[in-house]
Amino acid sequence: MSKDIPILAVKDVKKHYVVGSETIKALNGVNLEIKRGDFTAIIGKSGSGKSTLMHIIGLLDTPTKGQVLLKGKDISKYTETELALARNKEIGFVFQSFNLLQRTSTLDNVELPLKYAKVKKKDRIKTATEMLQLVGLGDRLHNKSNELSGGQKQRVAIARALVNDPSIILADEPTGNLDTKTGDEIIKLFKKLNKMGKTIVIVTHDEDLAKIAKKRITISDGLVVK
Amino acid sequence: MNFIDTFRTSSTAISANKVRAALTMLGVIIGVFAVVMMVALGQGAQNFITDQFEQLGSNLIFVSPGKSGVGRDPAEALTRNKLDDKHVDLIKTHANENISALSAWVSTGSTVVHKNKSYFASVSGLDYNGNEVMNYEIDKGRFLIRSEVKSKAKVAVIGKLVSEELFGQSSPIGESIKMDNNSYKVIGTFKEKGQNYDNGVIIPYTSAKSTFSIKNLSGIVIKLKEGAPVEVSMNQIKRAVSRDLNKDDFSVLSQQDILGSIQEILGMLTLAIGGIAGISLLVGGIGIMNIMLVSVTERTREIGLRKAVGATPFNIASQFLIESVLISFGGGSIGIILAFIANFAAQSFIRTEIPIWAIALAFGFSVGVGILFGTYPAIKAAKKDPIEALRYE
Repeated sequence: MSKDIPILAVKDVKKHYVVGSETIKALNGVNLEIKRGDFTAIIGKSGSGKSTLMHIIGLLDTPTKGQVLLKGKDISKYTETELALARNKEIGFVFQSFNLLQRTSTLDNVELPLKYAKVKKKDRIKTATEMLQLVGLGDRLHNKSNELSGGQKQRVAIARALVNDPSIILADEPTGNLDTKTGDEIIKLFKKLNKMGKTIVIVTHDEDLAKIAKKRITISDGLVVK
Repeated sequence: MNFIDTFRTSSTAISANKVRAALTMLGVIIGVFAVVMMVALGQGAQNFITDQFEQLGSNLIFVSPGKSGVGRDPAEALTRNKLDDKHVDLIKTHANENISALSAWVSTGSTVVHKNKSYFASVSGLDYNGNEVMNYEIDKGRFLIRSEVKSKAKVAVIGKLVSEELFGQSSPIGESIKMDNNSYKVIGTFKEKGQNYDNGVIIPYTSAKSTFSIKNLSGIVIKLKEGAPVEVSMNQIKRAVSRDLNKDDFSVLSQQDILGSIQEILGMLTLAIGGIAGISLLVGGIGIMNIMLVSVTERTREIGLRKAVGATPFNIASQFLIESVLISFGGGSIGIILAFIANFAAQSFIRTEIPIWAIALAFGFSVGVGILFGTYPAIKAAKKDPIEALRYE
């Protein structure tokens, strides 16, 4: 892939929802580019359209109008299955509420995207273990998710997001459920990952968190305002 | 995700909710158990009757009153009974060619009394060569003789059970028994032959008619010569009896005919009760669907997460479908094991047999139920919007 082609380009994207008799215009023509190695923060108040934008960047949703180019390829008309396969390969999600599988070991949780990628068990365990070591949980491989603290859970989630070596790590309010100290540790982890060359997009309403990003995009009323 | 991983995921989900899975399985367990047991009972009855018939010996022909056939009114045969000694003679005269032996037959039941003991036995009136026709073997004493039949002698040959019930271990020969206030002298006993024969009492058919006030014969039993053509012989017999009776007043049946119609009835009955038992399997299936729908809703967030990390709709559907099939298959297996245990226990007092096809059918049905009732919840799970699913509280 040429270095000039952005990993993800959003071109004049509109997203409208019909709720009852009303049409909600969540996005009204958003343009955005994410390049390899970027550390971008998408900031916006609740109702600004940032969640909708995150869903489109995360390939969880397709736009009503406009194009979404993933490595130069338009994915706005992808089927659900094609989107799922693309998500598996290209996107690593980190959620505010961690979303780990209950009563499942950290290793199994991290292995999950590799299972959907049909990676062999031996290789899965090897990669998942490396990722857990990278996020500092090398000694917690077999703990069940409910035996971990909030910070540890988020580290597992980050390891899971990294395990398929995706093009973009997409984090939605990753420190929202954590206390300040633990939140700071997670921020440090993101910085470290970006230094290692990972492309990171953080979606947040928290200006302080957004400051750590190299690039900030503010959304308001479905438009990029700065 | 490959099949083994999906299978592991599904079984982990089941073991996470053991009590719930067990209760859901219970519906299928009961359903499969009921179906297999009903079939086992039906099959046992069929085999029992077949064996009883085979003990009679093959190449037997029955002439019975009235027109026979499944669905006919049996009372008609009794009220319009015109069979008599005359027809025995007609057969002897005009259809003797292929016949090895034949006997008039009068059938009834009576309480048999000896001193202070009594026993309800099936009483058959036969001719002097009835033992040859019906394959009876004498244990002690002797069978009826020609003169006894002719003179309506009050003599009886009794089965093993009757002998044991009335006389215990002592010999009944020469003793007297009472039936309908008539005293009969025991002249012989039969060797053990099976339930239906061992509780029988054989007396001259002429005596049976007078003692029990029976006007006509219950039938004529004919034993063909070894290798005689059954169809041809049956036609000869039909023609002989037709000299005196309308074709609606009697019927000629081979042993195979009778066995065939009994098995047909039993087969239909087995199918019917098996089908009724199958309804409980259906109810079990609805139970699975219910629980799977609850499970899909409960695990909405999990579905959202799985979709976010790359699960395709097919992956999600497979996971839930395998889960419901595992529950139904597990229930089916337990049901079959229980049926085997019950079958083993029941065999001491009733004949039951579990045919291989019933097991295959039960397994097939239980998996089928899992697929049938698991598909809708699985599709529902697969269709969940990942965004909505991730937001679900």
